[in-house]
Amino acid sequence: MKIDKMSFEESIKKLEEIVRELEDENISLEESMEKFELGIKLSSNCLKKLNEAEGKIEELTRSEDGKLVTRELDLKKNS
Amino acid sequence: MEDGIALKSKVYTVSELNLEIRKSLEKDYSLIWVEGEVSNFYFRGKKHMYFDLKDESSKINVVMFHNNNKNLIFDIEEGLHILVNGYISVYEKRGEYQIVALDARPVGKGSLILAFEQLKEKLEKKGYFDRIYKKEIPILPAKIGVATSIGGAVIRDIIQVLRYRFENFHLIVRDVNVQGSTSSDEICEAIDDLCQYGVDVIIIARGGGSLEDLWAFNTEKLAKKIFDCPIPLISAIGHETDYTISDFVSDKRAATPSIAGQLVILSKTEAVEKIKNLNKRISHLTDTKITMLKKEVNFFIKRRIFIKSETLLNRFNQTASEFHGRLIEIMKKIIRMRQENLKLILGNLKEKNPITVMDRGFAIIYKAEEDKGVRSINEVDINQKVRIILRDGILSARIFDKIYKKLELGSGNENR
Repeated sequence: MKIDKMSFEESIKKLEEIVRELEDENISLEESMEKFELGIKLSSNCLKKLNEAEGKIEELTRSEDGKLVTRELDLKKNS
Repeated sequence: MEDGIALKSKVYTVSELNLEIRKSLEKDYSLIWVEGEVSNFYFRGKKHMYFDLKDESSKINVVMFHNNNKNLIFDIEEGLHILVNGYISVYEKRGEYQIVALDARPVGKGSLILAFEQLKEKLEKKGYFDRIYKKEIPILPAKIGVATSIGGAVIRDIIQVLRYRFENFHLIVRDVNVQGSTSSDEICEAIDDLCQYGVDVIIIARGGGSLEDLWAFNTEKLAKKIFDCPIPLISAIGHETDYTISDFVSDKRAATPSIAGQLVILSKTEAVEKIKNLNKRISHLTDTKITMLKKEVNFFIKRRIFIKSETLLNRFNQTASEFHGRLIEIMKKIIRMRQENLKLILGNLKEKNPITVMDRGFAIIYKAEEDKGVRSINEVDINQKVRIILRDGILSARIFDKIYKKLELGSGNENR
């Protein structure tokens, strides 16, 4: 699976798995390099995912023709 | 008519008699309350209810027509002890009399409590609360849907908690009445709309109140809607001590709306910390591996002198230098990747939350006369004055000494 397609949960899980694999002393240098590289990429992906969300508060309503629409929620006017 | 006895008294026809009885009974028992236990309950076509009301030694027929039973919030069922309000009516055609019930209420406990218990038991039997149907709540939802009243404090509480945990959350709020006769239907509709719009998790929320206030969250219709909802749903109704049917059937119950804010998304600071720690662990393990191999290579290189054969020695030298070369390549690559990664992590923290970084002991150094951060020891001179910016203030300092030291593998200082 491509790393950037992996969800945050999957990436973290895989990252934890890599740590466990690297803890095995019998792992070869090549393997440990591969794991290291994968681990770095996975943690980058995790950090990327953390910043992906847009940071918006919207209200979901239906327009006159019944379509679902969102608009920025202004809580002040309701207080 | 020739019989003498008959002549002395009035002789009724059966119809006349039943009509008289009817008039008399309906007059004398036009509005009565009667208490008893339900038996032989029959709900014909889910419209009209027929049952007997009985005590230890007697019973009476009761009918409750659709018009009168449609508003009952609890179920009349076999063995239930109830108080019935109604009147006596006579069915002349068969000479039978019965109570026509206009209203009924349970004896011993409130209608709402009974209704709650009955629905809870019914849904429990149907498996609505089974663990196997509970969907997992995602830890990093891209879009969080909330069905609540935007006029209340609840939505503000949720937003406040979310801001604290994860500043770039994306919230989709669907405004509903959380109380009143239309409330339950509105919440059902809101769940449908949020599903259709596409969110990763749904919170239905309401502040505290009486059992009656919270009633919208105790209907069978909403329970079914939640059960069938394909998106993970958190029920956050009332205070910690308030339980609703929605709480039981939802994928997760939050004791209060604020707690829903905590359950619905991970804490960003904690997440970054965790990733950083996993990262450190991976780097450390790789370092250990390389150090070990480095020792092995050195050991072999030193052992060359013991090898007598020229060919063998050459071959060995070749293998050793190849291996050594490869090791150096790998180490270079590791250092490069590690630096990029460190930049990424630090960048992430700095960009998003400099205070958190400073809380961990990081500081920013400015030259006393400039407003530019010092990034290399080459930028300052011995004896120069600098300002060190910390979390709680600024230190004025003078450079005392400079020690050139590149960040190195395994030195353990790469984060300082």
